[in-house]
Amino acid sequence: MLLAVPLVIAVVGPWFVGEVERGRAFVDRGVLGTDFVGRDVLELVLGGGRSVVGIALVATGVSYAVGVPLALVAAMARRRWLDEVVMRPLDVVLAVPSLLVLILVAGIAPRGYGTVVVVVAVVTVPDLVRVVRAAALEVASRPALEAMRLQGETRRRLAFGYVVPAVAPTLVADLGVRITTSLYLVASAGFLGVGVAPDAADWAVMVDRNQAGLFLIPSAVVVPALLIIAWSVGVNLVFDRAVRR
Amino acid sequence: MSDPFPTLRRRGFLALAGGLALAGCASSPGQSAPRSGGRVRAAFAGGGAKEVLDPHMASLFVEAARSKALYDKLADFGDDLTPVPRLAEKWESNADATVWRVSLRQATFHDGRPVRAADVLSSYARILDPKRAFRAKASLAVIDLTASREVDDRTVEFVLTRPYVEFPNALATFSAYIIPESTEDFARPVGSGPFSFSSFTPGRSTVVKRYADYWDGAAKLDELEFVLANEESARVNALLAGQVEYAHDLSPVTARAHEAGGRVRILRSPNSGIQAFAMKVDRPPFDNRDLREAMFLLADRPQLVESVLSGSGQVANDLYGKGYRHYADDIPQRARDLDKARFLIKRAGADGLKVALNTSEAATGFVEAATVLADQARQAGITLDVTVGDKDTFWSDTLKNGSLSSFRSGAMPIESHLSQRLLSKSTTNVTKWARPEFDALYDKAVSTVDAGVRDSVYQEMQRTLHAEGGYLVWGFADWVVGTSPSVDGVGTAPANTLGWARFDRVWLR
Amino acid sequence: MTLGRYASRRVALGLVQVLVVLVAVFLLVEALPGDAAVALAGDNPDPARVAAIRASMGLDQSAVERFVGWLGGLVTGDLGTSLVSGRPVVDFIAGGLPTTLLLAGVTLLLLVPSSVLLGVFVARRAGRGVDRVVTAATIGLHAVPEFALAIVLVALFGVTLGWLPPTALGADPLADPLVLVLPVIVLLARPLCAITRLVRAAMIDALASDYVRHARRLGLSRSRVDYRHALPNALAPAVQQLARTTDWLLGGVIVVEAVFVIPGLGTALVDAVAGRDMPVVQGLAVLFGVTTVLVNLAADLLAFRLAPRAGTAA
Repeated sequence: MLLAVPLVIAVVGPWFVGEVERGRAFVDRGVLGTDFVGRDVLELVLGGGRSVVGIALVATGVSYAVGVPLALVAAMARRRWLDEVVMRPLDVVLAVPSLLVLILVAGIAPRGYGTVVVVVAVVTVPDLVRVVRAAALEVASRPALEAMRLQGETRRRLAFGYVVPAVAPTLVADLGVRITTSLYLVASAGFLGVGVAPDAADWAVMVDRNQAGLFLIPSAVVVPALLIIAWSVGVNLVFDRAVRR
Repeated sequence: MSDPFPTLRRRGFLALAGGLALAGCASSPGQSAPRSGGRVRAAFAGGGAKEVLDPHMASLFVEAARSKALYDKLADFGDDLTPVPRLAEKWESNADATVWRVSLRQATFHDGRPVRAADVLSSYARILDPKRAFRAKASLAVIDLTASREVDDRTVEFVLTRPYVEFPNALATFSAYIIPESTEDFARPVGSGPFSFSSFTPGRSTVVKRYADYWDGAAKLDELEFVLANEESARVNALLAGQVEYAHDLSPVTARAHEAGGRVRILRSPNSGIQAFAMKVDRPPFDNRDLREAMFLLADRPQLVESVLSGSGQVANDLYGKGYRHYADDIPQRARDLDKARFLIKRAGADGLKVALNTSEAATGFVEAATVLADQARQAGITLDVTVGDKDTFWSDTLKNGSLSSFRSGAMPIESHLSQRLLSKSTTNVTKWARPEFDALYDKAVSTVDAGVRDSVYQEMQRTLHAEGGYLVWGFADWVVGTSPSVDGVGTAPANTLGWARFDRVWLR
Repeated sequence: MTLGRYASRRVALGLVQVLVVLVAVFLLVEALPGDAAVALAGDNPDPARVAAIRASMGLDQSAVERFVGWLGGLVTGDLGTSLVSGRPVVDFIAGGLPTTLLLAGVTLLLLVPSSVLLGVFVARRAGRGVDRVVTAATIGLHAVPEFALAIVLVALFGVTLGWLPPTALGADPLADPLVLVLPVIVLLARPLCAITRLVRAAMIDALASDYVRHARRLGLSRSRVDYRHALPNALAPAVQQLARTTDWLLGGVIVVEAVFVIPGLGTALVDAVAGRDMPVVQGLAVLFGVTTVLVNLAADLLAFRLAPRAGTAA
């Protein structure tokens, strides 16, 4: 249910959006009032889910596709140099404050969804690798793994057949956090002028840009914020349930 | 986040013989009788720890307000941007306006020394130092320093390099403050202003106290503290919670949200912020006059004012400086005419044109206005691709690059606007408007002593700009300031004029 | 490998990392459009004036010359002076550091015990109602950006109810600790959610593991098994996340400092980047880089102790 409402709005909503009309900013007009440039909040809510949901998923997916294999390689490496080769460059990236990265990339990179995905990945991957590696390290040192290795299981099968399932709860807990972080970064990126257009119909952007009118038209902030929260909580609960099975 | 580019502008204009009702004394209904004592904390946006006390380096609003508390200029601008004598008691020129004799008031610096002609010449020499880059330099460059001299302790004779009737504008120019002769150390600034220096913590606060011997009457407040808060929401929250008594530069939305609550008093200064788009007339596509006119006609100004300024402003007529001296009031207001705009677009061969509209967060409302205009242009068949650039370098970028950009300006005399932005040799000519006949009109205006004739020349220049200029001026934004209900005497003059941020006239109930 | 050898290797590596960070930050800031002169000229970008400012700042030297000169100063302990105000960079750091340290310190001090306790608490009740409520709340809160949370809290407690000061404007946080309450809550919210969830997941995992079951069978008391045997293993990922939190704190600090008007290092960094004040940006990057490297180092050492890897240890 929590997941369904935002998802349905995100997928179906854009079909119901008509021509943009403008009036005064932050006045009580229509169902939910108007936003910071005088547009109807309801229409924006309907049209604004696709990009939030989409970018967050793609960005998180990219981060995982890059991060998890790296972490496994590092954790299960029998030779130390391999672990070092993976981890040290990431440590360097880690040592640059992520907000500084965002501020600077905002100044340099072209605006676009691709940039957001890359920024989210750059900010998340080092972090993800450390967390997954730490969890996998614990699994990899278990006697059971040693035993299986002695029985001649291949490294890849060990990694995906044993280690990944074993660290899955940590991964899923992290995934939930990570998706919400991506959402959050998409909003921040919009604020810094990297991602989507500043007046885009996008829930995250709406929360940011309409805050000035919090006292006048609270719905312009609260409705998209609640949708984002519902979406994050919903995703996490679904993952939790999937793991428990 | 921060707003490091306030619309501070410089320069001055015509001295009509003296007497001008000053803002700052403008009374509002229910005002209490002036009373002495107390301390006011005023919240401004600031530049962080990099801010400086050198008044000649001022560029942020907080620096301007602080300089105004600590220092004086020879002149300052009245509400209609006419120069008003300050440290100068009066000025007079020779017949062709090339030599100006300025008499100083009997005023003293905070350390008790009198303000002398030598201090004035030394201050201007510092600003004009070729090795430095002070903001007021361009405006004062008309002075021939080697030929200028002190006649006596309280009289200066300025010799100019060309006839310049509007020389008092230069005396009132932004940041042209008078400092004691040969000052270079501003750790403990000494000026002649209504407040003297107490303490300064970069990026946090500046405290000043009343100077009892101020020539224009001692301030009412005992003490005044400038504190810095870059976020507008923080300034208004601090005001609501009683942490400050004055919050500078609030948004119209904030004003609407809190005006009725009775916890704060909202003051609006009309005609303060000029909101525009700048088209470059020297390159395609806007080198085409029809297309420029189409842009003028496709803009829905009332909608822009409603959406972007939240109704807190007035519709503009593609001209700078409504309410200022020499403003061409008799040119009819332009209204939206989509059919004519489409016709002109077709005639210009610009059907389906796609052009970048450069904007940034350099000023409040820029991005919003750009997106609204893009919507309006789409209805006329033109695609404006809103491109949000770097806010820190926006002004420099748009001076050189692109063909259409967001623009805004604070108050300055119309003559200054013309000379800085619309002449062939202007240094900040964003629209690249460069016409010898227009330059000639300007030269004629500033060398014409007869006020009526001069005014008609200004009218002619504005008619040309209205018909085919590069500035699409769509609105005049109110400047919004909030105070605690206990504060009285805050004026509603446009920002950058004498009546703005004039804390020597403020008192606590 | 012994802890000592591991530590010394990592410290050497840390130095290299800091150097790489400095070069990276320098290149990134150089790559930003404009320079300090353009930023200072602001809305009056008269080309002649910009050129004069540039010359007076020494920006007419090449980038390499400036970087090498700055690096030379760094070796002798001189961080240089601000291009814009001419004040020493050390002043900027000394001005902002106590405030930021206080803010981050208080947050971390509250974060560690509360998130671990909460995580263990719900892990031991996994699947029950209280677990579900806490889980939903932590995810929900984690999705709220700092600025949004700050605005809501300020509007509610600072302005409408008037219980707490909405900003730290003009106040000294040391003398008036009340001004820190709202900022710390905002800073605490997201890391608290993240770490609680990680602790919970890892703890559930550990509780289900063979050795915990074995220990239970041996008749050890439940809390002894949980806290002495399961918890240390469950903490390894959380420790890594905690290390990252320090970095997140910096990001949060920038937002929180802006909303609550706390003049700390975050504000100094944003202002310096906006002003293209390279020496100040670099000075702050040194500080942040060293801090991050140290914290990650500490986290690695701790993880090394919590879950040492036989033979192949990194």
